[in-house]
Amino acid sequence: MDAKLVNPFIDALSAVFPMMGFDVPKRAGMGVQEQNCTSLGVSIIVGFTKGLRGNVVYNMSDEAARFIASKMMMGMPVDELNEMAQSALSEMSNMLTANAATNLAAMGLEVDISTPSLTVGKDFKIKISSSQYLVVKMDIGGQILELNIAVQ
Amino acid sequence: MIVDDSRISCAVLNDILSKTNFDVVGMANSAREAVEKYQAYHPDVVTMDMNLPDADGIECSRRIRALDGSARIVMISAMKDAALMLKGREAGISSFLQKPVNPNELIDAMTFLCQDRLAHLGELKELYVKSFIKVLQKSLFSLVGVHSKVSFDVAEGNYLDVDGIAVIIGLTGSPMGRAIVYMNRGTMRKFACSLLAKDSEDELSEEEASDAVEEAANIIVGRAASTVNDLKEKEMRISPPGTICGNSIRVANFKMTSFRIKAETRLGDICMNIGFAEGE
Repeated sequence: MDAKLVNPFIDALSAVFPMMGFDVPKRAGMGVQEQNCTSLGVSIIVGFTKGLRGNVVYNMSDEAARFIASKMMMGMPVDELNEMAQSALSEMSNMLTANAATNLAAMGLEVDISTPSLTVGKDFKIKISSSQYLVVKMDIGGQILELNIAVQ
Repeated sequence: MIVDDSRISCAVLNDILSKTNFDVVGMANSAREAVEKYQAYHPDVVTMDMNLPDADGIECSRRIRALDGSARIVMISAMKDAALMLKGREAGISSFLQKPVNPNELIDAMTFLCQDRLAHLGELKELYVKSFIKVLQKSLFSLVGVHSKVSFDVAEGNYLDVDGIAVIIGLTGSPMGRAIVYMNRGTMRKFACSLLAKDSEDELSEEEASDAVEEAANIIVGRAASTVNDLKEKEMRISPPGTICGNSIRVANFKMTSFRIKAETRLGDICMNIGFAEGE
C-alpha cells in the first residue's frame, strides 16, 4: 500500500470542502490498518477501477454527518439524518472521489469511479481489503471525517 | 402514489389501480405528507387532488417538482377548466382528469406519462439484468451445487435493509452503478459451509463465512459483467468488493434505478440488487 496515494484524496478534500463553504480541512491523523474497519455510524463506499482498483470509504459519526449535511444545505438544521441529508452526503462523496480521480490522472493513474453506497447502522464492520489499508483522519470544522483507502 | 384528502377517493383510486400493472406505493392526505412520501418512495407517477387541507394541489405539485424536476403528476379534480389547467401546467402537472374518474382514461394517462420510464426499464432489463439473473443461477449451481428459483422486480424506494452480510461491488465505465449481493446470517453460514465443503457449521468462523460469501459474490458479479461485455460490446468493469457485516444495516442509493433479484435456494434466499446511475 503506497502512502503517496493519500495525497490525491487529501487534495480533493482541500479543493472541494472550501467550495461548499467549509474551512480548509486539517489533517488530524494518519495510519495503516488491517482488513476491517468499524463504521463510525455513517459510511459511504465508492469503488474505483482501471489504472488503480480499490475502494474508498468516507466514515463519520452521525453527528459529523449531520454537521456536514447541514452546512452543504446552506445551514438548514439537520436534527436527524433524513433522506435529503443522506443524499447530500452521497453527492459529497461522489464529488470528492471524482476530484481525487482527476488528481490520480495527473499522476498517470486513470481511474473510473462507481456510484456511492451510503450505509447506516449500529456496530457494523466493513472489509475493504484482504491486507492493509490507509486511514486518514481529517478535521472538518471540528468534526472528524475518516477516509479509509484500499487498493489492490 | 395517490394524493387526496378524502379517504374514500383514495380507496376508489387504489381499487382502480389494483387491477392494473401499477402498484400504489403510498397515499397522502395532505400536501406536507405528499412531499414527505414522494421523497421516501420516488413514485413513477402521482395522482393529485385539487383540495388538500394545507395547500392546493397546484402548490403541492410545485413543491414535488422542486424536489424532482421530472416528477410525473396527473391531476384528478372535480373542477377542470382552462384557467386551472394553465396554472397546473406551469406547476408541472402533465395531465388533467375530472372526478369521478373514468378508470380507462386514468390508466391511459398514467401509461402515456410513464412510457419513457417503462422503455428505460425495459432496456436496462434486456441489456443487463437478464445476464445477471442467468449468471447468478448458473454460478449458484456451479459454486455450491444448489438449484434456485429466481425472481426479480424493480426495487422501489432508496433503501436496502440487510441483516447479515452485504457485499457491495462498484460497476464503473458504461454503465456506472453498483451491485450488492446480500443474505441473512443463517444463509451466509450455510452457503459458506457448502462452498468450503465443511461438514458442520461449528467448524466455521464468522470471518471464514463472510470471506466465502465475498469471494462468491465477486465471482458472480465478475462473470455477469464479462457476459454483458461479451454480448453487448460494453466495457463494464467491477471494483473490488466492500463487505459489510452486521445487524439492521441500511444501504441507501440515491438517483439510481435498481432491480432486485432473489434466488430461493435450500440454503435460504440469496439476493442481488443491481443499481444503475440515473442517466445511464
